[in-house]
Amino acid sequence: MAMKPLNAPAAGNAFVFDDEFLRKLERLELLARKIFRGLLRGEHTTARRGRGLEFSDFRHYRPGDDFRHIDWNIYSRLDQLFLKLHASEEDVTLHLIVDASASMGFGEPSKFDHARRLAAALAYIALNNLDRVGVSTFAEGLGASVPPIKARHHMARLLAFLRDLPCAGVTRFGTALRDFATRTRSAGLVILISDLLGAEAAQDGIEALSHCGHDVVVIHLLAESEIDPPLDGSLRMVDAETGDELEVTVDRELRRLYQHRLERQLQEIESFCRRRAVEYLRASTAIGFEDVVLKYLRQGAHLR
Amino acid sequence: MIQLAYPAALLALLAIPLLLALHLLRPRRRRVVLSTTTLWQAAQQDRESAHGFRRLLGNLSLLLLLASALALGVALAGPQWLTRASEDADTVLVLDVSASMKTRSGIGTTRFDQALAEAAGIVDGLPREGRMLVMTSGRKALLRTGFEADRDALRRALAQLRPGDEAGRPAEALALALSLLRGRSHGRITFLTDGAFDPDVDPGSPQVAFRVVGGPARNVAITRFDFRQELASEDRFQVLVTVRNYTDAPVTVPASVSLDERVLFRRTLELAARGEQTLVLPFPGRALGQAVARIDVDDDLAADNQAFAAVSPRHPVRVLLFSRGNFYLESVLEALPDVDLVKRDGSPDEDITRLARSHDVVVFDGIAAPQLPPGNFLLVNTVAPGLPFSDAGRVAQPSILVSGRSALMRDVDLTAVRVDQARRVVIDGPVTGLQRLIWSPESDLALALLDGGLKLVYLGFDIAESNFPLQAAFPLFVSQSLEWLRPRGDDRLSNHIAAGSTHSIQVPATAMQVTVRTPSGSSETLEVKGGSLLFDATADAGIYRYTVGDVARHFAVNLTNARESDVNNRWAPGERREERRPASDGAQALVPLWPYLLVLALVLLALEWCVWAGSRSSA
Repeated sequence: MAMKPLNAPAAGNAFVFDDEFLRKLERLELLARKIFRGLLRGEHTTARRGRGLEFSDFRHYRPGDDFRHIDWNIYSRLDQLFLKLHASEEDVTLHLIVDASASMGFGEPSKFDHARRLAAALAYIALNNLDRVGVSTFAEGLGASVPPIKARHHMARLLAFLRDLPCAGVTRFGTALRDFATRTRSAGLVILISDLLGAEAAQDGIEALSHCGHDVVVIHLLAESEIDPPLDGSLRMVDAETGDELEVTVDRELRRLYQHRLERQLQEIESFCRRRAVEYLRASTAIGFEDVVLKYLRQGAHLR
Repeated sequence: MIQLAYPAALLALLAIPLLLALHLLRPRRRRVVLSTTTLWQAAQQDRESAHGFRRLLGNLSLLLLLASALALGVALAGPQWLTRASEDADTVLVLDVSASMKTRSGIGTTRFDQALAEAAGIVDGLPREGRMLVMTSGRKALLRTGFEADRDALRRALAQLRPGDEAGRPAEALALALSLLRGRSHGRITFLTDGAFDPDVDPGSPQVAFRVVGGPARNVAITRFDFRQELASEDRFQVLVTVRNYTDAPVTVPASVSLDERVLFRRTLELAARGEQTLVLPFPGRALGQAVARIDVDDDLAADNQAFAAVSPRHPVRVLLFSRGNFYLESVLEALPDVDLVKRDGSPDEDITRLARSHDVVVFDGIAAPQLPPGNFLLVNTVAPGLPFSDAGRVAQPSILVSGRSALMRDVDLTAVRVDQARRVVIDGPVTGLQRLIWSPESDLALALLDGGLKLVYLGFDIAESNFPLQAAFPLFVSQSLEWLRPRGDDRLSNHIAAGSTHSIQVPATAMQVTVRTPSGSSETLEVKGGSLLFDATADAGIYRYTVGDVARHFAVNLTNARESDVNNRWAPGERREERRPASDGAQALVPLWPYLLVLALVLLALEWCVWAGSRSSA
């Protein structure tokens, strides 16, 4: 595991969006267009489906759905209940929320760099699809943000914003995300990019976003050194966010117990997200950001 | 049950704090900064909850070191595991042969007979692989067999044993028996005794089992018998006799003292219960011959109903002095009691060998001595040829630094002695029998030599050129030199020793053989060298006669021991032994545990090294 001093800003800000990144971003945009064409019928208008006028799609009936949207014609022909979906006609805003706490500074490349590249890529694609994009950061509270913008020429501003972000502080999900939810006037698609490590449980914050009508996507970033920590022997561990120290002798058994705990925590979060219709995507920093974006786009849950 | 042979060695455990200090000085934990420690903390709690000792094992290296130190410390204390002796263990059978074992016990038997019967039973009951060593406990402890598995040989050895007239010293016998079993994991000692000894005899070892024989007995004994010359009278003597009643009832005891069959006294003593009476009876005339004191009483122990004394005339020490005149030396020799001094002015013109035989000590004072034959010589300020040291000049004002620890120098204080000039002597290499008495950094000033039949004391300066004669040390030195050259132990008026003790027989230096006749009538001819012989076959009380050539002398051997005669005051082994070993009815064995603890400590140290090396490599 790469060691970084406590609360140090993520290194290599100047190289977060280098030429290589920009070339990848353009290739990604082309790939994204093909996916959109295959999935939709051109540029999508919204990711929200519901009671709009324009018919969008069918889906199986699930208990609790509104009976008024059941397509009785299909029922009479197939003897199965289908719901008619309609596209909303309102503008969709993509809110990118990036975790900028100290714990994001770990990994090779750091989770924070990875998060910024992911955010930049998603913003780039969204702006190219005529959506509104806003970017916010958080740690102990809600941090710096770029209000939703629509024009493509604002992409440079977004990149500069992301490049200059610092990475420090304790994560307080509940405080920060509740603050975001109350400040955001229009509901939209919220993509939370975080390692979900912090002083408070991430579930509170995600629930706050979900309650405010946002469609929420959680991209859970993990460093490889957190999944399989290369630690052994007698260690004094220091928590990068809280500064708490822990004396521990790491051996194979303790590493097994750690991985067991990690797996349980990931399953809890994933299960929580599923229960609240929050899309959950787990990604390692060992996987390139473009692969993460494509995986996300191919799932297509939030595309029309 | 675990005992500690050396409990003080537990102080070695104080090394544990040192180990802790050393451990604290070891390299500290490596510091790493992580994105979060929450999961690690939870994992550690999982581990601790799963295994209560895991937290302790987190510092395995320290635990191993402490355990190793603990094992070493306890090993130093000599822990011993007390266990029942195995059936095939070696047995040491100690048989009490002291005088009290002659006490009647039953009709026609003695305590010793009972002990022998028990011993025979023990031999018969030996397991097939068992071995036994037989030893006796009298005044001395004597081994009668080795560790022997042959039952017949053991029975034969037992059949040859009989009690003596000696006062027992069972503590020494038990100490010897324990030393015989030292290093053996199993082994037991059975002590067959009548228990007539002091309670502090018990060595406290669980390996020792006491088997007490005999019952109550009735005894009256002579506990002291001696002769002495009255002060200021050569013709009047006194005899001392003490008789003691060990019964709980008053007794009337006729007592008599005879000298060479001539009865000196007859008295009838009225003795109170457990009382004693001492007679000091004067009698005129020379006291010469063999004296016997008797009490006429029918008790259970007859050995102490008589006592003996060999009353001999005192023989003066014949000293021949060759000197050109030495006031101090002559004065001292004339002043010493029982010294017959003959003075010659010049060098000896007679055969020195004949002179040495006809005198007890020959003194050469500043006169050249010839080569010395066997005999006793005192050389003052002269060196004789043929000695292992030779003259090598003079030393002016030597400073006397040290005096040796010889018996010749006992209480001789040389602090104030100043010598103007002394002879320098050179010792020809290491010499057996040569002891340094006084020396200075420049030369030896006084030597003593014992070489075969030659006994010699050398004083290396003219006493007239020193202040030595003016010091109290001078007559003491001369007196002790004469006593060493010609011991006068046999010349006491009443020459007697305790039964079982060693008697030093003094004979002329030229004598080669001594014939000793014991009270039982048996004779033994012994080789003698250097004018003295140590004779220790004195288990029987009575008059011993020894002859050298045509000269016969006597010494007496007595029991006369108040403690040994107290045949009813017996040690009760049962109570104390039961307190210590309630579950034991036989001997037990002590298995030393220190070798196992030492191995454990080494294994722990090896493990600690592995742990340390492993953590180092992983770091």
